[in-house]
Amino acid sequence: MRLETWWSGAALAVLVLTAAGTVVLGASSVVPAQPANNLVVGLVAEPVALDPAQVTDLNSNRVGRRVVETLVAFADESTQIVPGLAESWTISKDGLSYTFKLRRGITFHDGTPFNAQAVKFSIERQFNPEHPANKLGKYPFAAYFFGNVQAVEVMDDSTVRFILKEPRASFLAILTAGAASIVSPTAALKSGQDYAANPVGTGPFKFATWDRGQRVVLDKNPSYWRFPVKVDRVIFRPITEDQARLTELLTGALDLIVGTPPDFVAQLENHPKVTLHRQVGAHVWYLGFNNSKKPFDDKRVRQALNYAVNKDAIVRDVLKGTGAVSKGPVLPGTWGDDATLKPFPYDPERAKKLLADAGLASGFSTTLWVPESGSGMQSPVAMSTVIQSNLKAVGVNVSLQTMEWGTFLAKLRTKEQDMFALSWMAGSEDPDLVMYPLLHSSQWTPSGPNRAMYKNTRFDEMLAQARLTTDQGKRAELYREAQRLLHDDPPWIFIDHEVQTAAHSKRVQGFKLHPSFDLRVETISLK
Amino acid sequence: MSRYLLRRLLLLVPVLLGVSIVVFLVLHLSPGDPAEIMLGPQATAEDVAGLRAALGLDQPLPIQYAHWMAHVLQGDLGRSIRMRQPVLGEVLTRFRATLLLTVTALLLSTLGGITLGVISATWPHSVVDRLSTLGSIFGASMPSFWLGLVLMVCFSLWLGWLPASGMYGAHGAGSVADLLSHLVLPAVTLAAASMTIIARLTRSTMLDILRQDFVRTARAKGLVERAVVLRHALRNALIPTVTVVGVQAGYLLGGAIFTETVFAWPGVGTLMVQGILARDFPLVQGCVLIVALVFVLFNLAVDLLYAMLDPRIRYE
Repeated sequence: MRLETWWSGAALAVLVLTAAGTVVLGASSVVPAQPANNLVVGLVAEPVALDPAQVTDLNSNRVGRRVVETLVAFADESTQIVPGLAESWTISKDGLSYTFKLRRGITFHDGTPFNAQAVKFSIERQFNPEHPANKLGKYPFAAYFFGNVQAVEVMDDSTVRFILKEPRASFLAILTAGAASIVSPTAALKSGQDYAANPVGTGPFKFATWDRGQRVVLDKNPSYWRFPVKVDRVIFRPITEDQARLTELLTGALDLIVGTPPDFVAQLENHPKVTLHRQVGAHVWYLGFNNSKKPFDDKRVRQALNYAVNKDAIVRDVLKGTGAVSKGPVLPGTWGDDATLKPFPYDPERAKKLLADAGLASGFSTTLWVPESGSGMQSPVAMSTVIQSNLKAVGVNVSLQTMEWGTFLAKLRTKEQDMFALSWMAGSEDPDLVMYPLLHSSQWTPSGPNRAMYKNTRFDEMLAQARLTTDQGKRAELYREAQRLLHDDPPWIFIDHEVQTAAHSKRVQGFKLHPSFDLRVETISLK
Repeated sequence: MSRYLLRRLLLLVPVLLGVSIVVFLVLHLSPGDPAEIMLGPQATAEDVAGLRAALGLDQPLPIQYAHWMAHVLQGDLGRSIRMRQPVLGEVLTRFRATLLLTVTALLLSTLGGITLGVISATWPHSVVDRLSTLGSIFGASMPSFWLGLVLMVCFSLWLGWLPASGMYGAHGAGSVADLLSHLVLPAVTLAAASMTIIARLTRSTMLDILRQDFVRTARAKGLVERAVVLRHALRNALIPTVTVVGVQAGYLLGGAIFTETVFAWPGVGTLMVQGILARDFPLVQGCVLIVALVFVLFNLAVDLLYAMLDPRIRYE
């Protein structure tokens, strides 16, 4: 090859590239305008799989739950329970059997009928090792949600009965979880191990395509039973980089983004092109003590540290308002909340006095384990650093040990922790789904999530009693008393409840964030 | 030549075997447990132990490796732990996007770098030369993710000329123009550092060569300057440049991880980052094996290119 030829070839290539670039730059009007009735949503990460029974992350659920539905559901703006695919239900006096009357005439997106068999299939596949679909997936909630289910019985085509091993008043709340979604048995068996990438349900949108790394496309279900869906198509795009997601929203390439980074909230607050939403979610971020270890076995020490931490500063300066100061595990303003309780005020002097009363006037040294990131962890390292300096001011020397999320969870099972930063997304306002697993003494790690190894006999009794009580008013009284008890004998430093944020362009109408962290785009219409 | 090629191709086997062992060990020995990450904080110890057993993670490492290798040799890279999709299909789909990005960036950096280098060497201390020197210092010292963000804010947010992320518009598979418009920012971001390195190298080699006797002879013969520079000097200056281009190809494949993450480019880099965060062993191992294979083939191609450029180089 003569060099001139090579060189002219190279020059030509540059020319072509430049020309192509120019064409592209000038061609933005040539690219077809976006279909007016398509909604484009920017997610922080790509869904892992679209079968809510097989995933634990928010993004997968936000997409997957548009396709499948549950027997009972949350109301539009709260986590109060309303009928879903079941139109009514009865609970036996002993609290052991739940009988659901199913809606008739609903079909799955593949045309097969929704019926009692499908309910039995969807739930039993998760916990029954003999079930034909049990080996087709991994079901992380099988033990946690359905370990208490003895059997699911088909009474007739539209009646199904759940038999429990022991009574549990929060069972209806469990049935609102993504893992309790009803799938098309035909589709699940046909797709086998690939079902999680081809979900089929009864929801407002049906699965269309998934271009890996690029987009998940859902099309409107024209015969949706609840209401006519106003958007033709929803396109979910994973965009990890915050600046890119924001840019795409501001340039109109995205209609809606969820999970606005704290640093951008102020910028979006008064932006003329977008509307910002905030909503406290059913979540709690806490700093757990190892209650079984000295000096944390003394409640005065635990109270002192609650007074020592400036929660307002964390919420204002680190989280930029994307958190609400917490006074305990239960979400403020919900039915189980005790409105008379107030968060521990920031009072370092009182903290020092309590420490002195406990014989620790000269302070002590301890360690705090912090995950670098993790589901629901907000800004763990920055938040823990503020806590560390707050505690130092009252004489408590904390050494921070940050670790990777999986390592962190595994290490907490060793019971060697002094203090640790962790959060919990109950996804429901039912206090049983946050207080029982995190604080009942039967739930101590390693077998349960009570990683603070908290044990308070009176508290245990109240929680157990509340599980046996089906009357919500009576349950609420028990939970309120339990919260007062936790305030006096705090198992953790109570920090915050996450305020979720979403921002959308002005053409999006009728969107609301839901306290369960679900992303209900089916309520949206486009201008 | 064909014997040389065969020998080089056979050498791939030990190289890839070595890569597979290293990536397997690094992943399995680094902290983090896929079962814990997948099941999350509500999982019981029994759940985690059960999932570990189902995934074969409770076996001794040599057995896990042997099991994985036995499947790889049959062309089966296994199923991703978190996505439960076959790894091979997943990686190949994503790899096309990475290859498009990397090759475009390589083309940009090579052509742009050589052009700049030749101009700088032919007219040293000219405005172009000075600008190119300044650009090189910037290009080499700017982290690519930062440059990417700056370009994104300028060209997408402020000017509105180019899309900020993705490979196609959200509404359809899109046209070539759609693809190119999405390609510009990530390709320029990825190419920037390599381009400056190639430009500096070409400039210094060219300056050396332009001072040599055969160039003076060529000029004395009465050849036009264009022929002297392009036919005589540049051809000789290209040998070290080609070596560097080969090295840069590997660098670009690696650097694509950052660029892809910034621009949500659906390549193997973003897939690998998600895989590493979830400790998705089969997925990451599969990604690394395929990237390593391509990298080795790239280097082989560069070696073959030497022979084309310099008739004195012969492979036996």
